[in-house]
Amino acid sequence: MSELAKATGLKLFWYTVWARAYPRLIGSFREKSWMFFETVLPLLAVAAFVFVYRALDAPADYVGFAVVGGAMTAFWLNVLWSMASQLYWDKEQGNLEIYVMAPGSLMAVLLGMAVGGLVMAAARALTILALSTLLFGVSYQLGSLPFLAVIFTLTMIALYGMGMLFASVFLVAGREAWHLSNLLQEPIYLASGFYFPVRAMGFWVATFASILPLTLGLDAMRQLLFSAGATLGFLSVPAEASILAVMGVLFIGAAYQSLSKLEARGRRDGRLIEKRR
Amino acid sequence: MKESLSLKRYRGNTKWRSFTVAAWLGWQVESNWADPFLFSIYSVARPLAAVLILVVMYSVITNGVLDTPLFAYIYLGNALYMLVGAVITGVSWAVIDDRERYGMLKHLHLTPMDGYWYLVGRGMTKLLVATVSVLITLIFGVLVFGLPLDWATVNWGLFLSSTALGLICMTGIGLCLGALTLQTARHFWSMGEAVAGALYLFTGAIFPLDVLPSYLIPIGYLFPVTYWLEAARRALLGPHFVGFPTLAWLSDGALLAILAGFAVGLSVVSWLYYHWSLHQAKEKGLIDMQTSY
Amino acid sequence: MGANAVHIEDLGRIYKVRGPKHKGDARTLVALEHIDLNIERGELFGLLGPNGAGKTTLLKILSTLLLPTSGSARVEGLDVVKQAHGIRHLICMVSGGETSGYGLLTVEENLWMFARFYGLDNRTARQRIGQFLEVMGLADRRRTKISDLSTGLRQKMNFIRGFISDPKVVFLDEPTLGLDVSAARVMRQFVKDWMKAHPDRTILLTTHYMAEADQLCDRLAIIDRGRLLACDTPDALKRGLRREVTYSLKVTLGAQELTRERLQQVEGVRQVTITPSSNGYLELALILAHDEALTRVLAFLNGQKSSLISLDKHEPTLEDVFIERVGRGLDVDTSKRGAHE
Repeated sequence: MSELAKATGLKLFWYTVWARAYPRLIGSFREKSWMFFETVLPLLAVAAFVFVYRALDAPADYVGFAVVGGAMTAFWLNVLWSMASQLYWDKEQGNLEIYVMAPGSLMAVLLGMAVGGLVMAAARALTILALSTLLFGVSYQLGSLPFLAVIFTLTMIALYGMGMLFASVFLVAGREAWHLSNLLQEPIYLASGFYFPVRAMGFWVATFASILPLTLGLDAMRQLLFSAGATLGFLSVPAEASILAVMGVLFIGAAYQSLSKLEARGRRDGRLIEKRR
Repeated sequence: MKESLSLKRYRGNTKWRSFTVAAWLGWQVESNWADPFLFSIYSVARPLAAVLILVVMYSVITNGVLDTPLFAYIYLGNALYMLVGAVITGVSWAVIDDRERYGMLKHLHLTPMDGYWYLVGRGMTKLLVATVSVLITLIFGVLVFGLPLDWATVNWGLFLSSTALGLICMTGIGLCLGALTLQTARHFWSMGEAVAGALYLFTGAIFPLDVLPSYLIPIGYLFPVTYWLEAARRALLGPHFVGFPTLAWLSDGALLAILAGFAVGLSVVSWLYYHWSLHQAKEKGLIDMQTSY
Repeated sequence: MGANAVHIEDLGRIYKVRGPKHKGDARTLVALEHIDLNIERGELFGLLGPNGAGKTTLLKILSTLLLPTSGSARVEGLDVVKQAHGIRHLICMVSGGETSGYGLLTVEENLWMFARFYGLDNRTARQRIGQFLEVMGLADRRRTKISDLSTGLRQKMNFIRGFISDPKVVFLDEPTLGLDVSAARVMRQFVKDWMKAHPDRTILLTTHYMAEADQLCDRLAIIDRGRLLACDTPDALKRGLRREVTYSLKVTLGAQELTRERLQQVEGVRQVTITPSSNGYLELALILAHDEALTRVLAFLNGQKSSLISLDKHEPTLEDVFIERVGRGLDVDTSKRGAHE
């Protein structure tokens, strides 16, 4: 009996990535109501922080800090909810078994989720950024657009690498996964300085918070976008870029190791097939 | 077997039964943690982190000067606002949870329980957890930041009555969102949070309404939370309360009367909208839809 | 075809019981113990057992979702523990009552996505999807979102998913669960046709439906409380039952009255029940010691001038086999069995 030709190796990896990204990309366009609820309403939340700064008669650049930070929350929430705990949801639905049984790697599945989620998060972030800039008259003093693009790219690689690492941990978690994701919203906004320069948190807190790629990524982007950014920055932009690059490699490597180990553990303990509600 | 009269009354009172069973269920769902320690951290860390964001923002601009009326205004408003988020999201999230995660919504609606009071019950559990968080945040504020909260000078009558009315209003808003969620997809898990976040802007929660552009200030008058926060601040801060022009002209009685009006109105609107939305959801076959991607 | 598609040796699986425990509660759950089994390539092998017997656990181990705690298993010669990745290229699994897939995607899109996970290129994937949709009667629903499908149609889609990657071994875990008669029949026919067209492929099927197992399986095993109780062809299992032979006869009234006592005097007749039927005949239910006794009964009836209208022999069924081996019906849940020493 002749057998079907099937891709293996790198080709199978890419097939899996794009196959998993597909539901995210298509799903985003089929159920369009997210475009309102995940852009306009968060914009209102960002506006609240802007008005706090206005109530305090803060310098204009602080409004810009809040706007950029608010836009970047889109990526953090995407990593937290659509990456980290996604495998938990897939387990609940019965999709995880199919992913594990398929010959494509789970890393490819996670990468596909990341790619799909990134598109959605980017749309949200851009909308918030654009509308906020218009509404609050934010003015930017962009030093170097290519450098900004590099910082953004390095931040995303490191951030989504971290997301993959979280996803592997949550592979064997039950309902705690959801609560852990919930726990990591406001504390991260605080520690990473989403709405204020992270330097204000003090050296040690800022240093520990730098384990999160968005801390340094945001700080670097603010330094490149605002004149006050440089004086209020935590580390220099080149230093932050280097750290982000290293983080990207480390997180993706750790995610790969963790995924293999935790998949094996999940198979050993029967956690891949249980539904703990 | 003869039933006691009280048991007969309990069985016969569908609304009360729906409410109490839902509250019990909500507690089972909320407290079903493998690790109570983690749950405690969760109940403390999140609210404190939320308020500390504002504290740091304030501190950065004022170089650490915190004993101002504006700081007390911001801190107290943010702490109390946790109840708003909890009630509003608690109710709408219950619909998503029951429908998409547990697949139970259709089964619940097959029973004779009252769906409206069921959702109220589910929201109450979140309220209970949030109340603990609010207390911890207030105590933290008093001990660490010198928040001028003196329990001896609190106007308890004003506080309790305004809070009771305010909670009825928030529950009404939550029920309207829950009703909307009956007809929408899973990613609406964020809707309750998004709406609560949006209300942050227009209700004077973390900055006085006066800071808004003049054409936006009237929006604040449309929300009951605005009046509740004002009344609660007056009651809790007592002699330390410094009002801002937008709402200073309203007496305590006027605030309570407005809240009462909103409570009645939102109760009626939420009841009507919930039942209409449920009917629509049943007509469109949405009670058991699964919408993940 | 020969050669083993599945080889299982002394396989065991013990679960740790998690969650709050009371005094006396078991800390471990023995799901499987001492399972030895060989399934040849080209076989459609059935696994019968009550709820909680360990059938799904066994399938999860063979499909590399779960590790055994003792023993070994090989699928297509590859070890399920050490060579899991290699096995995944060769297998697929479909479970009854599945809710997998993404509600917002269409039938075609879901199947395409899963086909890609198995390395099929776009053209091949779409071609195969089209073919399978036709065969399973879903061609007109290819662009329907799966959230709009009924349970039966969704299961059909999941069924297609199991075969689309042309696996060497397919695990079907109660695939017709909850389906109506015609949908279940379509699936069974599909399985038969697929096995016929692919004589080098293997299917391991778990089911609660005796008729399904009897109809489809080349061989089947009975499993209960984690242990394998029997393994043979359906016919051999039925023949293995030591049973008396049961016949139902419809006869005309004889010259003399036919009574139970007179019939029981015929050699080899163990038990007789006589029921007059509404149209003047007599219905006899006979339990005979052996088939040869029937000849004597017929001779006796002939002597009584009683004519035979109809004759039915009642063969032992798989259900009879099951009840005799297991000691109870299929619907008794054994999943809460307690600790192993």
